[in-house]
Amino acid sequence: MNNLAKFTIGIFFTLGMAWLAFVVGARSQFGDLVPTSEVLDDDGSVPEDAELFPVDISGMAKQGAEEYAALGCVTCHTQQVRRVEAGFDVERGWGKRPSAPRDYVLQEHVLLGNSRIGPDLANVGLRNYSDEWLHQHLFEPQSIFPSSLCPPSPFLYQLVDEPVYSDIGIAPKNNMDKNRTVRPSIRANRLVAYLQALKQDYELPEVSFIETEEELVEEEVISSAGGEAPKWLQDQIDTGKEIYMKAAPGGGMCFACHQQNGEGLAGQFPPLAGSDWVLGNKERLIKISMYGLMGEIEVNGVKYNNVMAPPGIPPGSLTNEQIANVLTYIRNDWGNSASAVSAEEVATVRASLKGRAPMQMFTSAELTTPIQ
Amino acid sequence: MPADSPDKVIDRSAKLVFSFFLSSAGLWLLMAALLAYLAAAKLTDPFFLSSYEFLTYGKIKVAQANAFVYGWGGNSIFAVSLWILARLSQAEVRGSVFLVFAGVIWNLAITFGLLGIMDGHMSGHEMLEMPTEVWPAMLISYLIITFLALVIHRSRQVRETIAPQWFILAALLWFPALFLIAWNGLEINPARGTLQTVLSMWYGQSLVWLWLTPVALGAAYYLIPAILGRTIDKYYLAIFGFWCIAALAPWSVVHHLEGGPVPMWIPAVGTVMSIAMVFPIAVASTNFHATAFMDIGKVWHSLPLRFVIFGTLSYTISSYIGVVFSLPAVAKITQFTIINEFHFNQRVYGFFSMIIFGAVYFALPRITGREIPKAAKSFHFWTSTLGVLMLLLAYLIGGLTHGVLAGQPSLPWSSSVIHSIQPYFLITKFAFIILAFSQFVFVVNVWRIIFPNPFVYFSAENKEASV
Repeated sequence: MNNLAKFTIGIFFTLGMAWLAFVVGARSQFGDLVPTSEVLDDDGSVPEDAELFPVDISGMAKQGAEEYAALGCVTCHTQQVRRVEAGFDVERGWGKRPSAPRDYVLQEHVLLGNSRIGPDLANVGLRNYSDEWLHQHLFEPQSIFPSSLCPPSPFLYQLVDEPVYSDIGIAPKNNMDKNRTVRPSIRANRLVAYLQALKQDYELPEVSFIETEEELVEEEVISSAGGEAPKWLQDQIDTGKEIYMKAAPGGGMCFACHQQNGEGLAGQFPPLAGSDWVLGNKERLIKISMYGLMGEIEVNGVKYNNVMAPPGIPPGSLTNEQIANVLTYIRNDWGNSASAVSAEEVATVRASLKGRAPMQMFTSAELTTPIQ
Repeated sequence: MPADSPDKVIDRSAKLVFSFFLSSAGLWLLMAALLAYLAAAKLTDPFFLSSYEFLTYGKIKVAQANAFVYGWGGNSIFAVSLWILARLSQAEVRGSVFLVFAGVIWNLAITFGLLGIMDGHMSGHEMLEMPTEVWPAMLISYLIITFLALVIHRSRQVRETIAPQWFILAALLWFPALFLIAWNGLEINPARGTLQTVLSMWYGQSLVWLWLTPVALGAAYYLIPAILGRTIDKYYLAIFGFWCIAALAPWSVVHHLEGGPVPMWIPAVGTVMSIAMVFPIAVASTNFHATAFMDIGKVWHSLPLRFVIFGTLSYTISSYIGVVFSLPAVAKITQFTIINEFHFNQRVYGFFSMIIFGAVYFALPRITGREIPKAAKSFHFWTSTLGVLMLLLAYLIGGLTHGVLAGQPSLPWSSSVIHSIQPYFLITKFAFIILAFSQFVFVVNVWRIIFPNPFVYFSAENKEASV
């Protein structure tokens, strides 16, 4: 301890051991990972003509990664789905599988992060957000999630008087600017391109998708199935029933066609009780409740062809909360039992449809083929 | 004219350097306090100053950590280390001009680094977010300072070295090694994929464990016996504690990667070594507290010592909490929550800064011959205590809430999980306001002691020299 040279050697030796492990050792273990195919041949080689993963992201998205790093998004957002035994990430729907080291080998900026004041973003590109939705969220997160703490980034946008096709239909908070629309800058477009490119939607030899029971669990927890519904759910169902039956402003007058017993009218109006549409995807239902539906539609294998005007009096006037309530009701009466719909979910869908002309009814085809 | 005592001569030789580093450290402390307030305010109201891009949350949060660690931490480490080394070596500080020159470069580098972060050139590596352009300036100025610190140590009168010297020298030498390893692995020969994260996390966490922590421990090992006038109890354990930290700390810091996309042995090793850290923590705790509690009345009445003991107690308690939080079963809940903020603030405010405050209050009157008013010191102590406790409790309880709620997949993220921890952010905002007041009083008083009359500082200095 008294000889400075020996002391220095000692303290560098202890540091050097850790350096050997974490820097030299780790590098030789997984520093040369390369993209590979989802499944390997029996002899461990990559099959010919197989698609290799991860794939490189577009140049625009790479520039978006620079913006993401420069704005410090990593301060609040991680980009890693933890292993199942180490956390709830897959259960929360943040990824189909845990992230693996190989997922990151093509990234110039590896921004794993270590704090989650915001949700994980490793798979944000898989969540079916439209570009408009992401722009709206970057411009003013609180317009979508009122209690979000994400900082608004108005500096990435311009307010313009004359809208052009690239503008997004965001109503700025300030009343003075009500008539102006918001135009994304090139930086905002890069950022959105990057976010849409964040997805780990392929399997790797070392990690495969995890079958979650999330859907099932959710049904059990928040639908009326299996006994007493919690009070908030019962409230939603009760208010929803009022809207279903009401033929005055604030109501939906749904019973007029679908009937009080939810059976519809054979050949004219499809049933809601036991309907595959009602119990299925919520987003479709929300869209129909906002804009109505026209043309041929197949429900439980039977074809109907009629026009459903946008519900509400006047048509299309139901609020997010009213839509959430009435949909929760039809999903939980006449023997139906499915998860509740929240006003937040409706708001998300509504934001994704910004720019769609009012009263422009959906068609069955539009709702069943995924929009690219 | 009577001959000055050797300590007086040494203090005088350290005066310029100590004053320079301490006064710059003070300014960085205030800058960090301002940024901390802005960041906390933005978490309670996201629209607060949201139209200024350079003040967006991600940037100022990072700028705050860098200003705190490199600005306040770096400068105060230089000030305190040089003085303690000079005192213990009974050797004068030499090359003051070079030290001040290097200090100016260091401060300029950090200034440009922070401006770079705010201007959108953040690198994204933990605790190395400042743009790479300023890294060479930081390293060179640091090496000059360390070299001159080693010169002081080499010219020591007594060959035998003691605990404060080990800790301080090790910290001074570890930093450039860590910095070079990180620089090489991240920029010169950049590693691919998540290796980058392993390295930057290792660097960022080691910076706290191998740079800030040893300096504060070294200062405590020097100040407690010096003020109490008694030797450290069970001093023979100190060498064991020192080598435990040297051997275990660089391994323990990677347990934060638990469950992430890295080979499983990395976090596993980190967890095992974190648990082993109970040994050095117990040693330091025994040495400090067994000594202090022999004369607890004196600890209470000596304000510098009160600061130091607050710091060592905080070190002990929170390090044990850290051990518990590194266990995989607990980490499953606490990982990625604002408990991280608890750890960081506890280390840099509750432990490191408190001990540095104590060291400054002890050294400043000896070096300048002037005393800070008692009321101001007392105000500083109590407001710091209040602010730190508020801050840490809010982050601790808020972090547990955060973790427990986030672990329930049926709860929506922003409207339920984040909404529930918002009250804790409000508490941290008030805590940062209290701390900012507290630090403002500290810095103003330090500046008034160092520059009693700013306009005649240099002429007074000359007069003194000519007498």
